[in-house]
Amino acid sequence: MTVPDDRMATILQRLVSHEVDGSGTVVLCELAAEVSGVSGASIMLLSDDLAQGSLCTTDGIAVYLDDLQFTLGEGPSLEAHAEGRPVLESDLAAHSMERWPALVPLALAAGVRAVFAFPLRIGAVRLGAVTLFRDMPGPLGDSQYADALAMALVASRTILAIQADAPPGSVAAELEQGANFHFVVHQAAGMVSIQLGISVTEALVRLRAHAFMTGSSIDDISRDVVERRLRFDGAAPTGPADRPTAMDDQ
Amino acid sequence: MTREALLVRTLVELADNLVEDFDVIDVLTVLSDRCVEVLDVDSAGVMLAAPGGELQVVASSSVAMRGLELFELQANEGPCVDCFISGSPIVNLELSAVDDRWPQFARRAVADGFHSVHALPMHLRSTTVGALNMFRMAPGSLRAEDVVVAQALADVATITIIQHQVSVDAAVLNSQLSEALNSRIIIEQAKGKVSEASGLDMDRSFQRMRNHARNHNLRLTELARGIAEGTTSIVGLDPLPRARHVRSISSNPWAGEPEPTT
Repeated sequence: MTVPDDRMATILQRLVSHEVDGSGTVVLCELAAEVSGVSGASIMLLSDDLAQGSLCTTDGIAVYLDDLQFTLGEGPSLEAHAEGRPVLESDLAAHSMERWPALVPLALAAGVRAVFAFPLRIGAVRLGAVTLFRDMPGPLGDSQYADALAMALVASRTILAIQADAPPGSVAAELEQGANFHFVVHQAAGMVSIQLGISVTEALVRLRAHAFMTGSSIDDISRDVVERRLRFDGAAPTGPADRPTAMDDQ
Repeated sequence: MTREALLVRTLVELADNLVEDFDVIDVLTVLSDRCVEVLDVDSAGVMLAAPGGELQVVASSSVAMRGLELFELQANEGPCVDCFISGSPIVNLELSAVDDRWPQFARRAVADGFHSVHALPMHLRSTTVGALNMFRMAPGSLRAEDVVVAQALADVATITIIQHQVSVDAAVLNSQLSEALNSRIIIEQAKGKVSEASGLDMDRSFQRMRNHARNHNLRLTELARGIAEGTTSIVGLDPLPRARHVRSISSNPWAGEPEPTT
């Protein structure tokens, strides 16, 4: 990936002036949207083609778009990461139904008209994708495209620079700030796996399917499971855990 | 070349090193040379902290400047040293006024023909990695806008250096990040299984796993992986101690745990 030098310089300069706020990684998303002139942006971390969650998002639509991709297992961010190249869809309504059949109608309904995803990569190392979206159809201009490429490189390096300060075995606190790694979904998957006697991986698929079928957010569905308002085995929900029982009171 | 064009060129030169072959000394030599060209100063130099924490002279715009900076380190007094320790800028300090603060350094700098000194910290987030030193020979002050420009140049150079260190370790750091996240995910999955099987809430499910891991000298991540993958029995986990032993939930009288029923 070749990035024009002056763009890199400009972005770095802006990142430096932003960094005074010290507000986690959201500045990376805001800067990505700003330099490429789009409505919003998200940065998603991916590993082995699996979405791990959003590092940062500029607004509610960015959150929704990332959650859809996490739930459905398809979309521009996943594709950009898997293929290691930019994925550009300048008119979501026109061509993309076949590409992402489940995602596109929902994204359109939310007002997203164009998406542009750029892989976060340094050489062979792949971290995820920065995804830009717009409420109007139309391609990125040449300079916007170049800025987005430069931004993806800056974001990749910044994320790793932040992680370099983390204690061994943990995720840097600054990376968790404002991020959604869907931990509640994994808790719910553990519970559903016991309820149905299936693997955690299968339970995740069930949760995703349920969220899609009911048109709910997978985090909300999962919270219902964790708070014992929703079960997958047909038994009556019991309500929150750890109600006192006669047995405990001995 | 106009001042603005020169500035852009400098930023490009500094940022260039992100993608090209990289040499820290080159980047910082560009920084000190350009400070002298772009700003109203006569000499500039950069000191960086070595891994052990002690400052080293890395780049200087002239041989004389290098000598003065080495002297500053040897005497262990002067603007760069103070700026690095405090992390705060030193601007427009006249050498005639610092006899008490830096007696050896001031004498030597005045002998070298300098009138005032300026030092800006090179930091990323809360870490100060070094300092940029600038010296003026003529009386008068460095303009405020020159200070802003110098700090911006120093900041870009700092990011370049730090990002270079990162790119060397990119593969290692990325796998650390991804493993840390995956460990968290597996622990959450295991918490969910323990919670469903034993009726505990998530916090206490976690405490139960941690308690068992400690008792049996297991790594929490290994235990969680075994539970999540179904190779470790949940029934076999040690029960949690009673409420009075569990500090974080001492307000809850129901912290004891029924025997697992699965």
